[in-house]
Amino acid sequence: MKVVTGVVGNDIHVVANRLIEISLKERGFTVFNLGVNTYLEEFLDAIVETDADVLLISSLNGEAEGWCRDLQILKKQYTFRKDVVFMIGGNLGVGEMDPDALVPKFKNYGFDLVFHQVDLNVGLDTLENYLKAHA
Amino acid sequence: MSAPNRKLLFDIGSTYFKMAENGTIRHYFRDFNRPIFDDLMEKCGDTIAKYRPEEIQICSSANGGLSTLIIGLSNSFSLKYAINIAFNSGINIIDTVLYHDIDTAKPPVEMIDVVIVVGGIDGVGRIFDDRLFDFLQDCAYQNIVYVGSADERGYLSEKLEKLVVLDNIITDKLKINEGALKTYLTDLYQADIMGKEDIKHLYEITANQIYSTPYIVNRALSHISDRLDVADPFIVIDIGGATTDIHYSSDLVNDNIVGEGGYDRLVFKKLGVYKSRESLIHTARQNEFVYELLNYLNVTENILEEESEAATKVLMQLAIFLVLYKVSRHHSDYVELKLENLNSIVLTGGITKVLNQEESETIIRFFYKKLLHFHQIPGIVLDKNYEIWTYGMQEFTNEEATKELS
Ligand code: B12
Repeated sequence: MKVVTGVVGNDIHVVANRLIEISLKERGFTVFNLGVNTYLEEFLDAIVETDADVLLISSLNGEAEGWCRDLQILKKQYTFRKDVVFMIGGNLGVGEMDPDALVPKFKNYGFDLVFHQVDLNVGLDTLENYLKAHA
Repeated sequence: MSAPNRKLLFDIGSTYFKMAENGTIRHYFRDFNRPIFDDLMEKCGDTIAKYRPEEIQICSSANGGLSTLIIGLSNSFSLKYAINIAFNSGINIIDTVLYHDIDTAKPPVEMIDVVIVVGGIDGVGRIFDDRLFDFLQDCAYQNIVYVGSADERGYLSEKLEKLVVLDNIITDKLKINEGALKTYLTDLYQADIMGKEDIKHLYEITANQIYSTPYIVNRALSHISDRLDVADPFIVIDIGGATTDIHYSSDLVNDNIVGEGGYDRLVFKKLGVYKSRESLIHTARQNEFVYELLNYLNVTENILEEESEAATKVLMQLAIFLVLYKVSRHHSDYVELKLENLNSIVLTGGITKVLNQEESETIIRFFYKKLLHFHQIPGIVLDKNYEIWTYGMQEFTNEEATKELS
């Protein structure tokens, strides 16, 4: 299975990104890591070029909402040849934002799996189960 | 007496001939009513007669350049990488079609020199379909090259008669692989120069390959700091009569593209001050900063219509501003350079005859202040003798320069 990953927007927090790449590889995924500072268009373009099965976006600096809210609109401009799983995690909100509201909000933006301040391994286990269930 | 590396160098520009002999460079304004060869022989024939064809080396920017149409799968990878490679191979008229939109894309009306089809990393299949062939049916083109996923090669070769297949320009890690396509396009560009009637005649006086001037200037870059007072990193802006070129070291590129290092260049075909004056003015008028800029230079818009020395100066300043603007983060169509990291800007080409140090600094200061909010500007070096191109020529060993032309 192929995964495109990276950190969205003007976000330079790189540590999680490295860990994600390593963890995914350990689990047997082929990883295309676009690194930090990646725009949503670049993620979708990378899916098209690689025929990826999963897009795993991470966002740490609190700007996820601003960068991802147009995902639905953007998706319409692409034809994917697979049923791609869209996944996001990290610190998805800022400050006193209600964490429970975050998951439905991002699902509404077009993400299948949303993890706000959730441990990476928990997130990746969920992904694998999701992929199995939808195989 | 013949010294071992006696050389006579020419740069055949669209506006001037430049001749370099023993470190002395002379400029001759071209007579546009005569063929290049006749004009050159009249102006420099006596000197040429003193040299053997092996001792004469010529570069030329007097050819029109090549056009390409790129059809690619995505903006961030296929199209971006192919545009980059095409620019760096000297191709300057570039049209693109995103494959997703090919149904609604308009085929260009003019004859295209080369169509580039690209998409997917190796291992990805079923990318292209009949829509590609339908579109190509309506295009007039000379060459067509495929540089995408290896899995599509068989299918496309079967359907497209003249198709040339080269290495994928997108690696398995989604990085750029320039090699094969760059060589292919550079060769096409060379063949185009040599095919031009005007340039063909020049082979009567030289036994060496005639290179394109931007290519030669680019080769000179690694020697500039030996001879001029520049500090790394730097760019070279070559503003001539028909085009404006910008040469830069590839680590200045603000991009995820990981290339092979070294120096690259961009050619802006429509930003010259003589032959493409109209399009320069047009581009300037469309720029959001132009009125502020004219105001800053203490002139009015009317100057753009004038045919005076003052007008030429302003146009040159505009050209500097516009190329910097085009490679800055305000403009996304081209390569973005980290201009804030520059230590020197070298100006060469016709511009060095028109602008002095202060006038050059004035415009660059405006750019840095207005667009980058910087109060410090890089050191400005004027290549007053217009000699940078000669460093690039000297780089050739005789053996390399006389290599067999196919
Ligand atoms: C180091 C750091 C920096 C460094 C980054 C260096 C670098 N190049 O990486 C510097 C100093 C540059 C920095 C800058 C900023 N930072 Co900072 N930074 C941190 C810090 C202290 C540690 C981040 C880190 O590396 N953690 C270690 C990694 C392994 O953990 P992680 O990033 O949390 O990732 C884990 C999980 O989040 C999760 N995960 C991540 N992605 C995904 C995806 C999925 C799908 C899943 C399931 C899980 C998952 O898995 C990872 C491993 O467990 C955190 C605070 C903290 N203690 O977390 C703040 C923090 C992330 N930064 C923050 C902020 C605000 C900033 C700045 C805006 C500060 C400023 N005003 O300038 C800038 C932003 C710069 C930018 N453009 O992005 C905030 C973000 C607030 C928010 N989101 O609500 C934090 C949380 C600090 C805080 N409490 O306020 N920062």
